[in-house]
Amino acid sequence: MIYIVTALPWEARPIIDRYNLKREGDPRYFPVFSGNDMRLIVSGVGKIASSIAATYLLAGEETGQDTAIVNIGLCGAVNQEHPIGTSVLVNKIVDHETGNEYYPDILLKHPFIEGSIETHSRVVRRENVDGGQTRILADYVDMEASGFYQAAVRFLSPHQIYVIKIISDYLDVKDFHKDRVTGWIARAVDDIYGFLEQVRMFCKSNEPVFSEAEQCYLENIKERLRLTVTQGHQLVDLARKYKIRTGKPLPDFSDVIGIEVKVKAEGRKAFEGIKRILTAE
Amino acid sequence: MRESKGYSLQSKFSHIYIEQKALSYPVTRHILEHFPRSVKVVIQHYKDVFNRPHQNFRRQKDSPKLILAVKEEPFFYQGPEICEDFGNKNFYYTSCILNCLYDCHYCYLQGLYTSANIVIFVNIEDFFKAVGKLLEHESLYLCVSYDTDLLAFEGIVPYASRWIDFASSKQNLSIELRTRSVNYEAIRGLKPAEQVILAWSLSPQEVAQRYESLAPSLEARLLAVKAAVEDGWKVRLCFEPILKMQGWQEIYSEFLNNVFATIPAEGIFDANIGVFRMNREQFKRISRFRMDTDVFVYPMMCSEEGIMSYVEEKEMKDFIRQKLVRYLPEHKIYG
Repeated sequence: MIYIVTALPWEARPIIDRYNLKREGDPRYFPVFSGNDMRLIVSGVGKIASSIAATYLLAGEETGQDTAIVNIGLCGAVNQEHPIGTSVLVNKIVDHETGNEYYPDILLKHPFIEGSIETHSRVVRRENVDGGQTRILADYVDMEASGFYQAAVRFLSPHQIYVIKIISDYLDVKDFHKDRVTGWIARAVDDIYGFLEQVRMFCKSNEPVFSEAEQCYLENIKERLRLTVTQGHQLVDLARKYKIRTGKPLPDFSDVIGIEVKVKAEGRKAFEGIKRILTAE
Repeated sequence: MRESKGYSLQSKFSHIYIEQKALSYPVTRHILEHFPRSVKVVIQHYKDVFNRPHQNFRRQKDSPKLILAVKEEPFFYQGPEICEDFGNKNFYYTSCILNCLYDCHYCYLQGLYTSANIVIFVNIEDFFKAVGKLLEHESLYLCVSYDTDLLAFEGIVPYASRWIDFASSKQNLSIELRTRSVNYEAIRGLKPAEQVILAWSLSPQEVAQRYESLAPSLEARLLAVKAAVEDGWKVRLCFEPILKMQGWQEIYSEFLNNVFATIPAEGIFDANIGVFRMNREQFKRISRFRMDTDVFVYPMMCSEEGIMSYVEEKEMKDFIRQKLVRYLPEHKIYG
């Protein structure tokens, strides 16, 4: 599953269209769109809002190795080295207020330029930077990345968290027209799409030890033999070791588990039989 | 292969994280010149990157990054009980690089560190100063290729040469430079020194191929050992970790025959035998995420000191020792 957090609905629109996402039914807290193994949330502006939205998506979910989360939005560039509309993959996030720094892992090749970003709680103006009232320690500025990252890293590894920003101005913007915002993201969306497909494959590439059928089989054994939670863990651990050690599928335990278990002692006896089989080879 | 899986990995050291205070060191400049195309990211402290929460060691090993940092005290540590001291008093180790280029399945580093990225401390002179100060009061046996493989990094940062040069000028210092590398050519121009022991970790080719990813073959290692012996270095052979696998007795017997058919036994300074063992906490941590290897799935026992090893550890060690005494005198065999 890929989760996306955008601040504004106009930033979200090209992604919603590209992935053909549908709005989820209950918009009580945030607008959320989903489809194609993706969920997108529109957080609102600011690092706290982004943090809450990322948490809203990830908390309570099964966030395993096949999960990634991406913050997509606009940023201002401190210098004019790159043209407006350039996409940036962020390799360092500075929180302006706390000075704390965060580093997503950049393990995959990508079509973007890279840079550092500093997250501010207020809009950064060129005159304040030039006048020395605002000191910036990064290449770009935004209003979400640090909050987003801090929330995401509670649930995921640094290689599962990405921040992609499109340069919208050189700190000289007066106001954004929604069509221009949508246009910048729309022009970047093919590159974003290609990159996210890579992320998806990278996150999925861990082969599980057990097939789905084997997982069901083990669950069935636990239930039939009325194993305790600890015994259940032992069963899975021994089965995993057996598979890794021998390279074979799980053996057939039907002789051992064919009995009807009425009391726990019978289950324990059958479990001992399974342990013997799993450690014999 | 990875590209066919639908993703392309960044090359090794595609990114170099540099502590602000490390920027001005000559070693930093040397390394940055070596990787002109890497993305440079300036950081406050190496632990901000190296010790981040929830890192995935296995994933990072696919595309490890470099971190250049300035080490603060302490510069060396007391040698741990789990390691052989070879009869030396004052056994210390030092780590001017953290983590390794190789990816051995059994390596404790993946349980010791939360990151697979490689930290290079650029203030090597401070390590020398600290050791020099200690040497004013006592002699020292110092393992300098600890928590890493210095010789494997010699092409990136010549710390093996620097330590050899340093030790050569000190009378009461003995250093061990342990390696799996075949990069012997990088130090071949140096004069063999009485104070320096070049220690090669050797494993049967079956083990090297299956469990020592990215490390050189046994054959290549033996050639490097042979060259070092012929050049007059003190050479130590480290037969560890002895791993359990199907037919391990035959595999290790054949291996020892092979080793001493290539290397003249009389040219070996000493050797040690170490059956696979690991601190319990590290063992537990690694076995949770290494689902791709059978190293951690054999029946193990835990000693009172909290060290995990095979149930048959003693039997395995005795077996290897019996074979080894055919080639080396007892007093040269440790472990």
